[in-house]
Amino acid sequence: MINQFDPPRGSMYLYDDITPPTVDGSYKMTVSTNINYGTSQSAPIDRFFDIVGPRFTLDPTIVTSVFPPRNGQGSYEDSLPQIVFSRRTFPWERRIDSDSNPLPKPRDNSNPPNGDIPWVALLLFEEGEFTLLQNQTLESVVPVHVFTALGSPANILCDAVEADAGLLQSLLPSREELQLLCHVRQVNVEDRELSAGSSDGFFSVVMSNRLPAPNTICRACLVSLEQRTDLVRADPPAFEYDLGSRGNVLNLANEVGGLSLGLPVLLAKTRLVLLHSWKFTVQGPGTFRQLMQQVNIGMIGQTAGNQPQLTDTGHLHLPILDRAGENEIAWYRGPLVPWQLTRDPLGPYHSADQCRRATPETGAEDVSYAAAFEVGRQLAAADARLAQELMRWRRESYKQAARADTITKVQAAIAVDLPTALNDKLRAPIAPAVSVSAAQALASGGLPVADRYRINIAAHTAGMDPAALATTWAIAADQAKAILGGDPATLGAVVAPVAETPRPNVTLEQVAADTAGLNRLATARDTLLQTAILKLGKPTGGTK
Amino acid sequence: MRAAWTTGAEALRARMVNPVQLAAPSPEAEMPPYMESFLAHLRLLIGVPFDYLVADSRLLPDESIRFFYLDRSWCDRLVDGALSVGKIGTREQAHHQAHAPQAQQQLDRTERVVRILQRGLQDFPSAKQTGDQNPDAGQIVTGLLLRSAAVSGWPQMDVRAFSGDVPAGIDPSQVSNSLVMSLLRLERLSPSVLIALFQGVPKLVWCEEPHHGVQFAVQENGRGGFFIPVRDASGKALLPSNAPANQLPVPFRTGGRRVIAVAQLRKDIIKKDQDLSTHTGAPHLPAQTGAAGYAISVLSPPWRQRFQKAAGTFSGGINIASAVERPQLAVAIKSLLK
Repeated sequence: MINQFDPPRGSMYLYDDITPPTVDGSYKMTVSTNINYGTSQSAPIDRFFDIVGPRFTLDPTIVTSVFPPRNGQGSYEDSLPQIVFSRRTFPWERRIDSDSNPLPKPRDNSNPPNGDIPWVALLLFEEGEFTLLQNQTLESVVPVHVFTALGSPANILCDAVEADAGLLQSLLPSREELQLLCHVRQVNVEDRELSAGSSDGFFSVVMSNRLPAPNTICRACLVSLEQRTDLVRADPPAFEYDLGSRGNVLNLANEVGGLSLGLPVLLAKTRLVLLHSWKFTVQGPGTFRQLMQQVNIGMIGQTAGNQPQLTDTGHLHLPILDRAGENEIAWYRGPLVPWQLTRDPLGPYHSADQCRRATPETGAEDVSYAAAFEVGRQLAAADARLAQELMRWRRESYKQAARADTITKVQAAIAVDLPTALNDKLRAPIAPAVSVSAAQALASGGLPVADRYRINIAAHTAGMDPAALATTWAIAADQAKAILGGDPATLGAVVAPVAETPRPNVTLEQVAADTAGLNRLATARDTLLQTAILKLGKPTGGTK
Repeated sequence: MRAAWTTGAEALRARMVNPVQLAAPSPEAEMPPYMESFLAHLRLLIGVPFDYLVADSRLLPDESIRFFYLDRSWCDRLVDGALSVGKIGTREQAHHQAHAPQAQQQLDRTERVVRILQRGLQDFPSAKQTGDQNPDAGQIVTGLLLRSAAVSGWPQMDVRAFSGDVPAGIDPSQVSNSLVMSLLRLERLSPSVLIALFQGVPKLVWCEEPHHGVQFAVQENGRGGFFIPVRDASGKALLPSNAPANQLPVPFRTGGRRVIAVAQLRKDIIKKDQDLSTHTGAPHLPAQTGAAGYAISVLSPPWRQRFQKAAGTFSGGINIASAVERPQLAVAIKSLLK
C-alpha cells in the first residue's frame, strides 16, 4: 500500500514522537444510563479493562534491527548505537512517571522539546561495568517506592542489569535527553532493508547517548525507566567540548573526589529492568572511508611488489606429485585472470587428462583446466541429487533416441504416412499413430474390387495385348488392333466399378416402423417355406 | 552457497501427485531443473574452493582489491567435470558430446539468473523464463575480489557496477538503467573476502556502506574531539564539512566516558542556527522541535567508494583510480496530526 503520505523512494520522514491514544494500564469504565420517569434514576455499571503491552520483558520479535550489529565486530567508535522497533508507539506506550511519583522538573524549561517522555532508554556499557542478572523478582530489582508506584505487581520475574550507581548516573540521559533520543521514522516501504515483511514503513528508534570506545567489548542494554524517578534527573550534568587525548581514560578524579566526599551512592549498585541487550566488539583499523582509501588496487596478478613468481601468461608454478610419484613443477592459473581470454571452442572434454596441456617452450605441464575439471567432478559427485538428475537426463535422452529409431524403422518397413513431427512430439505415443496410419492406408489405398472377371488382367496377357502383338510381329499398332478385333477396347477396356447402392445408416426403430418392407419379408419367408415343403413331399410340418 | 532447490516434503509431494515423475509438457531434451540450476551456479564458481580461485595468498593480500576477467574456458571445464559424473561408457560420452553445445548455450542464459535464485526472489521455473528471454550467448564476465576489514565490519556492502561514467554523489535511483550493469554474483566467501561478478566490462564500480537502518554518528576532528557537520533541514550537509564554520563541536559529559551531552548539543544547534540566520541566504538548520530534529543533526549518511578507470598502466579494461564520496540522503521532519 503506497499512499500520498508515504515518503518518496530514498527519503524518510522523521517524527518527534507518536503517542498511543491510551497508554498501557488498568482502566475502569463506568457506563451509566439516566432514566427520567417522574424522578430521575441512574443505573451505573463499572467495568474494568487492561491495555497490556511490553513492560518487564520484551518480545524480541518487535525488535526490527540493532546497530552495531549483534555480535558484530568493527570500528564503531564514531557511531551511536541504536535499536529499531517495528511498533511506532512502543517508546511512548507507558508513562515514565505518575502524578503521585512525578519526575523532577528541569530548572531551565525555556525551550522544551516536543513530545512525551519515553519510558525506555538505551544504555551502553563496556565490559566490566555491569552485571547481567536473569530471572530476578521485580522486588529485588527496583526500590520499594518504585515497586509501589508500579502497582506492586506480584510474581514478576525479569532480567536486570546492575551497575555502580555513580556510573549509571553518568550514563543515564536526563529527562529532556530521553525525549531527544527517541524518534519515529517513516521509510518508503519499497526500501527493502528497513521494512521487514509486511510493515507499514513506520519504525520507532531509540538511540544511545554514548559513543563506544575503541578496542572494547560493549553491551547495549535497553532498560525500562518506568517510575524510576529516583534515577532520571531533571538537568543533565556538566559537559566539556574537548575529549582531548584522554580518549577512553576514566577521569578518576571525579569519582574519587566524590568518594572522598563520602557520598554513599558511589559504592551502591543500582539495578534496572532489562528489556533487551546485545553485545558487539569495537575493534578495527578505522572507518569505512579510511579502510577503502587504504585498499591496494590492481588487476589480479598484475601488481608490483609482494607478488608470487608468475609467468607472463599469469600462471603460477606449483609443485605437484604426478601419478608416477615424482615431484614436478606444474603451471596453474585460476579462473580469475587479468586479461580477456577467448573461450576454448574444443569442447566438451571427457576426462581431466584430456584437458592437460604442455607448454611447448619448457615442456612444463599446465594443469589449470584439468584441475577445473576435477573440481567440477568432485563437487557434482558430492551432490547425490545431482547424480540422480544426471542419470535422468541421460535416460530420457536414450529413450528419445530409441523412439526416433523406432519411428524411422516403422516408416521404412510399412510405408505409412506417420503424422508430421512425431519425432518432436516427445510424449505422443507411437503405436496408436502407426495403427491409425496403417488402417487409413488399407481403407483408402487398396485397388478397386470391380474387375470381377479379371478382364483387366486377361487384357494384359501377351496374346491379347495389341502393343505386345505389334512388337512381336513387327506390325503397326493399328494392324495389331485390327487382328485382335479392330476395337482397342475389346479386352483392354477399363471396367469401372459398379456404383454402390447408397445405403444410409438407419436405426432399429426405423426398420421396425417400415411395415411394408416387413410384410414383404414375411411373404418371402412363407414362399420359401412353401417351396421347401413341396420339394420334400412332407404333407405338413410343425416347423415354423 | 546454493539454496536447497527443494525440501524433502516437497519432493515427496511431487512424487505422490505425479507418479510418472515427469510432467507431460516438460520437454525432455532440456536439463532437469535441479541439474541446470546446479551447473549455472557452478558456472559462477559457486562452491569452488577458494584455493582454486586464488592459488597463492599473495595474489590477494590483506586490504586489497583485485579486479579480474573470468576465464570462461575454466568454467566450461568445471561443467564438463560435473557432467562426467556417472559417465561409464561410450554411450554416456556420445550423449555428452552431442548435448554439450545446447547445454552450454542454455547455461549461458541461466547463469544470468543465478543471483535471483540466490536471493530467493523467484523460484527456478520463473527465473529461468526471465533468463531465457535474452538469447544472447555468454558475454564477458568480469569481477572483483575484495579482502578487507571493511568486508567484515560492514556486512551487506552495496556493490554496483556501471558501464559508463556517472557523476559523483548521484542517487542510484537516478542513474539510467542502461548504465547499470547486471550483477551476476555478490557474496562473501569468508568473513573478510567479498567476490562480485559483473556481466560486461565496467567503467565504474561503487562500494557503498550498507543502507540498512540509517545510522547516527559523529565525526572525529583529529584533535581528540568530535564534531557533527552542519546540515540543513533535509539532511544535506553544508559542504565542505572540513571548514570550521560548518562544524559543530560535540559536547560530552565530564568524566571521559564518551557520553554525549545531548541536551547541550541541542542548545548548540539552536544557537548555530541563530548565528547563521544573521547572514542572509544561509540555510536553516533543522528545527529543533524535538527528537526528529536532533536525529537529522546526527545522521550519518553512508560512505561510497568509487573505483574508476583512469589513464593508467594496465592495458586491460578495468584499471582503477579511486575516490570516496558521501552521497546525500533526503529526510524531512513531519508531525502527525493530533
